[in-house]
Amino acid sequence: MSGLFPNALHVARREYLFRVRGRAFLITTVLLAVAIVAVTMVPTILAAIGVADPSRIAVDVQADDMSEDPVLAIQAALALGSDPSAAAGDEEPDDESIANRPRVTRAEDPAEAAQAVRDGELDALLTITRDAEGELAFEYLGSSSPTNQTRLLITQAASALAISERLERAGIGQQESAQIFQPPSFTAVPVDPDDARDAEDFGGALILAYAVVVLTFMAILTYGNWVAQSVAEEKSNRVMELLITASTPRQLLTGKVLGTGAAGLTQYVAIVVAAVAGFVANGPVSEALGVSGQAPFSLPDLEPGMLAAFGAFFLLGFILYSTLYAAAGSMVSRIEDVQQAVGPLIFLAMAGYFAAFTGLNDPDAGWVAVLSLVPFFSPYLMPARMLLTSVGAGEVVLALALLAVTLMAAIWLASRIYSAGVLLYGQRVSLRSVWRAARVAR
Amino acid sequence: MSLIIDSITKRFGDVVALDGVSFSVDPGRIFGLLGANGAGKTTSMRIVLDILRADAGKVTWQGADNTSLPRRTWGYLPEERGLYPKMVVGEQLRFFAALYGVSDAAAREEIDDWLERFRIPDYRERRVEELSKGNQQKIQFIAAILHDPDVLIMDEPFSGLDPINVRLLKEAFLEMRSRGKTLIFSTHQMETVEELCESIAIVDRGRVIVSGAVREVKRQMGRQVVRLATDGDGHGVDWLTAMPGVELTTRREDYVELHVPADRDPATILKAAIDRGDRVTRFEIAEPSLEEIFVEHVGRRAVDESEDHLASSSRDDAS
Repeated sequence: MSGLFPNALHVARREYLFRVRGRAFLITTVLLAVAIVAVTMVPTILAAIGVADPSRIAVDVQADDMSEDPVLAIQAALALGSDPSAAAGDEEPDDESIANRPRVTRAEDPAEAAQAVRDGELDALLTITRDAEGELAFEYLGSSSPTNQTRLLITQAASALAISERLERAGIGQQESAQIFQPPSFTAVPVDPDDARDAEDFGGALILAYAVVVLTFMAILTYGNWVAQSVAEEKSNRVMELLITASTPRQLLTGKVLGTGAAGLTQYVAIVVAAVAGFVANGPVSEALGVSGQAPFSLPDLEPGMLAAFGAFFLLGFILYSTLYAAAGSMVSRIEDVQQAVGPLIFLAMAGYFAAFTGLNDPDAGWVAVLSLVPFFSPYLMPARMLLTSVGAGEVVLALALLAVTLMAAIWLASRIYSAGVLLYGQRVSLRSVWRAARVAR
Repeated sequence: MSLIIDSITKRFGDVVALDGVSFSVDPGRIFGLLGANGAGKTTSMRIVLDILRADAGKVTWQGADNTSLPRRTWGYLPEERGLYPKMVVGEQLRFFAALYGVSDAAAREEIDDWLERFRIPDYRERRVEELSKGNQQKIQFIAAILHDPDVLIMDEPFSGLDPINVRLLKEAFLEMRSRGKTLIFSTHQMETVEELCESIAIVDRGRVIVSGAVREVKRQMGRQVVRLATDGDGHGVDWLTAMPGVELTTRREDYVELHVPADRDPATILKAAIDRGDRVTRFEIAEPSLEEIFVEHVGRRAVDESEDHLASSSRDDAS
């Protein structure tokens, strides 16, 4: 068998130029880039249209014998919930944060306040009464969603009010009850001293891990499908017979995967650049608009070695799937049958995707560690694990090595299926007939 | 040294596509591969090209096994024409040339030369899908020869061409032969074979029925064809068929055609006609046509059968 090059490059070049010059490519790339910029600008857009308005609550206190002022208590609870740093008292509140504070007022006229809630001028009306046993009873008129943030915070404040009143009846004074509510000191000590994940960085890392998993999955599914489509197309318009005479199946397969992959990456890079640009533009744009659209999270610092590993996992995983997509495409005679042929591969890619999503909730779990070494799953799971936990370099290298070995086996298998598949025409080419043909293929 | 196909056998599942096919092609000649649809012509060609591997037997060109020969030894015009429909002619041809290792400059020159020869020089910047079937076929032919292959293998190169394009393609064949190339093609058009081919092989149901130089094949038929016309119409032809060994094959308004055994001198028929007092206006001794030979070997029945088979099944590859 002759070497891979230069024929694989000729095939890749043709494939790349043909894709990238197409009008469909240009349109999808532009649309996706615009969409991704829009998504990254969401915080600014929300701030600009005023969704981040402070909540306005009216409290109708019918139980007038309360020792604590419920309006102040609820005001404090809501302020704590909407801006934790303000309550910590480590910063002087600026004008803006004061403006953003929730406004809790005493309802002078309950009927009018209730009407204001219905008209949308108030977020909620809380009525405080005493029941037959003399216990505090709360009635909340407002958003009906049990997960509504304001409602959750008010529920907590109501519990606190009721409990502190019961403590007072039990003879425990205000000062002592404040002590009772004080949370204990709790320090999490990581096993690995380098693995100090503070909450803020972890949030950013988690979002990045989700992004890596989703983007890898989308790249495999979209561009893998391109490869399969393009192979089936060459078969259906019969140009395949000419190609297979001029070069070896391995050259064709490699060129196809490289060319389509390069075209896919071109689109991919355009989208990622758009995403980063949108993210960076958030600050200046919101400043220009005069709204407070702070970045939703801060990106964790990434070492060059880690980035290189991400790149390696992405490329190897992408090529592994694309190679198998090419083999699947070579098994069908019509473009309409491609979806059916790539079904098992989609299933495999989805399994890895969902495993990674589940694993993100508990990145330290044993099964996540095991799956992050398994070739078809490692492109998702290992980068996610590396972002969220500390992974030894040995494990990363092992996962990459396993992935590389699997890739070589896949190329061998795929070029056999390909060389047999491309000459088989029929309604449906069964795996068995391909295997039979592959055994005697050159 | 010639191209030698030595008892190749190929099975697709339970179907025996080729059953010990052997024939040889002299270098620098034009060779015709004849056979009904599904006889095994395409499979034979694919095995020679090494895009299929035979179960048994081997193929050698100038003494070397075909699996060890470089790809550029061969040029191939497949039966199912295939080009990238949305690609521009010139770019597409240069792509195929590049796969065979032809430099871009050499390819450009050769492409212009052939487009000129085929009288379509201004199609170079057109997309293939914009071309007529006949012109696409010319592009397909150019794609097969741009890398200057020693052996050119063509599956039904004339099918679907109008008479003018058939003539252009025949001229291209002769041009290639004058460059010392070896040409093998399959066809149903017997007249084209008579016109171009020095040697042939007739394949039927995976076996070679007869092969060799056309002249030799005809002689092996062991009979002569006599065409006779007289002005003694109305006498009937009974006196002819009454002669031992003579067989009337065609009776036309202007002449009759007879088969005469090889051991019988056709002149006896002429003598008999003259003796009867008829005025002989035409007397011709000919060799049997390839069409006759083909029909006799393969049989009318087999031809019908394979055409029915082709219509009912999907385009499978056992042909």
